[in-house]
Amino acid sequence: MAAIYGLDIEDPRVGLDRTEFVHADTRHSLLTKLVRGLGVDTVVHCAVLTEGRASPRTVHETNVIGTMNLLAACSGADSPVRRVVVKSSVAVYGCEPYAPSYARESYAESASAREFLANDLREMEQLVSDFQVRSGSTAVTVLRLGHRLGFQYPTPLGEYFLLSRVPTFHGFDPRLQLLHDDDAVEALYYAAAADHGGVFNVAGDGVLLLSQAIRLAGRRQLPVLFPFWRGLARTGLRVTGYDMPASLADFLAYGCVVDIDALEREFGWRPPHTTRETLIQFLGRGEPEPQNVGPQEYELSQYLQRRRRLAAHR
Amino acid sequence: MSELTSSDDRLRHQLGLLYTDVNAELRRRGPNGHRNGHRPARVRVPAPVPDVIEKVKAELPVLALQAVGELSLRLRDLTGRDVIDLATMMAIVQFFSQQVELANRGEAVQVDDFGFDQEWTESLLPIFRWVYRNYWRVETTGLEHVPAEGRALLVSNHAGVLPWDGSMIKTALLEEHPHPRHARALIAQFFFGMPYLSWFLRRTGQTVGHPDDSVRLLERDQLVLVFPEGVKGTGKPWGERYRLRRFGRGGYVQVALQARAPIIPISVVGSEEIYPMIGDIGPIAKLIGFPYFPVTPLFPWLGLLGTLPLPSKWRIQFHPPIRTDLMDAEAADDQNLVMTVSDQVRDTIQQGLYENLRLRRSTWF
Repeated sequence: MAAIYGLDIEDPRVGLDRTEFVHADTRHSLLTKLVRGLGVDTVVHCAVLTEGRASPRTVHETNVIGTMNLLAACSGADSPVRRVVVKSSVAVYGCEPYAPSYARESYAESASAREFLANDLREMEQLVSDFQVRSGSTAVTVLRLGHRLGFQYPTPLGEYFLLSRVPTFHGFDPRLQLLHDDDAVEALYYAAAADHGGVFNVAGDGVLLLSQAIRLAGRRQLPVLFPFWRGLARTGLRVTGYDMPASLADFLAYGCVVDIDALEREFGWRPPHTTRETLIQFLGRGEPEPQNVGPQEYELSQYLQRRRRLAAHR
Repeated sequence: MSELTSSDDRLRHQLGLLYTDVNAELRRRGPNGHRNGHRPARVRVPAPVPDVIEKVKAELPVLALQAVGELSLRLRDLTGRDVIDLATMMAIVQFFSQQVELANRGEAVQVDDFGFDQEWTESLLPIFRWVYRNYWRVETTGLEHVPAEGRALLVSNHAGVLPWDGSMIKTALLEEHPHPRHARALIAQFFFGMPYLSWFLRRTGQTVGHPDDSVRLLERDQLVLVFPEGVKGTGKPWGERYRLRRFGRGGYVQVALQARAPIIPISVVGSEEIYPMIGDIGPIAKLIGFPYFPVTPLFPWLGLLGTLPLPSKWRIQFHPPIRTDLMDAEAADDQNLVMTVSDQVRDTIQQGLYENLRLRRSTWF
């Protein structure tokens, strides 16, 4: 392994000591040059929005169009790329009330969620599988990561468990399954380090009922949200200061639990943190440590990047 | 590759940094601009429940006991005999105090990974026992065909708008089987979208009618109860009672073959009469997303009161097992065999229905 290149539209907020950082977005012309110019052999595609509060438009642009451009840049006879890892999410199953208790990877095809995130993820995965068919020699791994809480920067779900009173949907007590942040990284690492072609669910063992989770968090449950027309409940919550994304509302009404046997068979590894452990660790994690980017170091990296950008223009 | 393994930890470290960073970035890009990261929002709500209510909750069983005692005394004064006997009274109070106790279990709630709360389910048994013995006066035969342990797929006919037949089969297995067992019923998908009902079904051990779920449960040596007719069976009009509908596409036979479980057919008589369905208003059903909107002599005219099932006389017969557990697991792909077994199961149940209808001399007594 010669080098690791990081690619983003904004500068990194943490010190990347061994990674070359390239400031770029997912425009096709740019990526093609990068891939061929740097002789990239492994691509880890994490610029997929799965749990934020982005608008449907941003999600579509990032997940579908961004992935399309990236895969186009990676394809072609002269492409040096031999391995592609794409981050996806279990949100692709769309949290349906009648989903099997443990969704297998193949269930995504028969799921009929209308929610935009699930649709976009499905479209994205379709692009990935088309790419796989076109360039047969490339190992393509899609990791459907479970719901994270976000140890450093809490996800909307993480924030939910930090509310002092936790509002829930009336008449529902879904089963939840969580993924530890470290395990998400570990899975990406395994996928990047060796060929494991295929689509895999990645999530912690065991389930928690929402009510159990709230009790575990030492919070009080408020079953006040009207279970139908969940947009209504979300508007109400926004007034109180908590913004619940649509996909999360579905998750908190119906839950989503996936089967991780395929992952274990292929990788010989199961995420070691169970759902319960993940939640307990998340709650006991304390304040996040400040990032160790000193002002000088930061300025230096800025300077270097400006230079690199200038060089690219020339 | 050797280079790779030597720098494993560093790659891992780098990926970790990158991943954290990408996520942080994507979060900041959200439209609602929590740009400075982490600001846990707070929901403002009314003050917590005052202690008075907690106190009343704790004293509720005693209060209830006193109230019921008072009531029975008054009734005896009025009528001159024991209307409420002491045993029933104690049972009622005990039931409610147990419910309060279970509701306050806090973190000690034990549910399996399907959401089944065995302790709470068993606490509901008194209600279902009363319905089983006194309301529908269920007579159960053939329980010896249900194994004391190990997996089995119970296959039953389905009728009566709401899945009461499932609850009675489950009660029979808990009440009358020498080794009381919990059957895990597979329920039509659409019930799981309904608040309260989906909660209740999951809590009492039911799960979605999906082949993956049934195989998973069978592989854990559970009893799984299926109704291959599905909603086509529960939504039957009165005139077609006790005539079995199509048994799906034989998927349940494939499940039994895959999991190497015997099939035990069950005939339930009595469930057809609890809600005599004389009509079905399609447009309303469509509007509220139901497979049917039943019209019975009592519903919807009497509102909620109309949802009370009628007290018909029930018989449940468990038939000898069909040994799908002894067949080849590969037979699941043999469509011919699957349909043959499915027909055999269907015939057994249909014959059982005729037989038990004959044995039941009257619909109501």
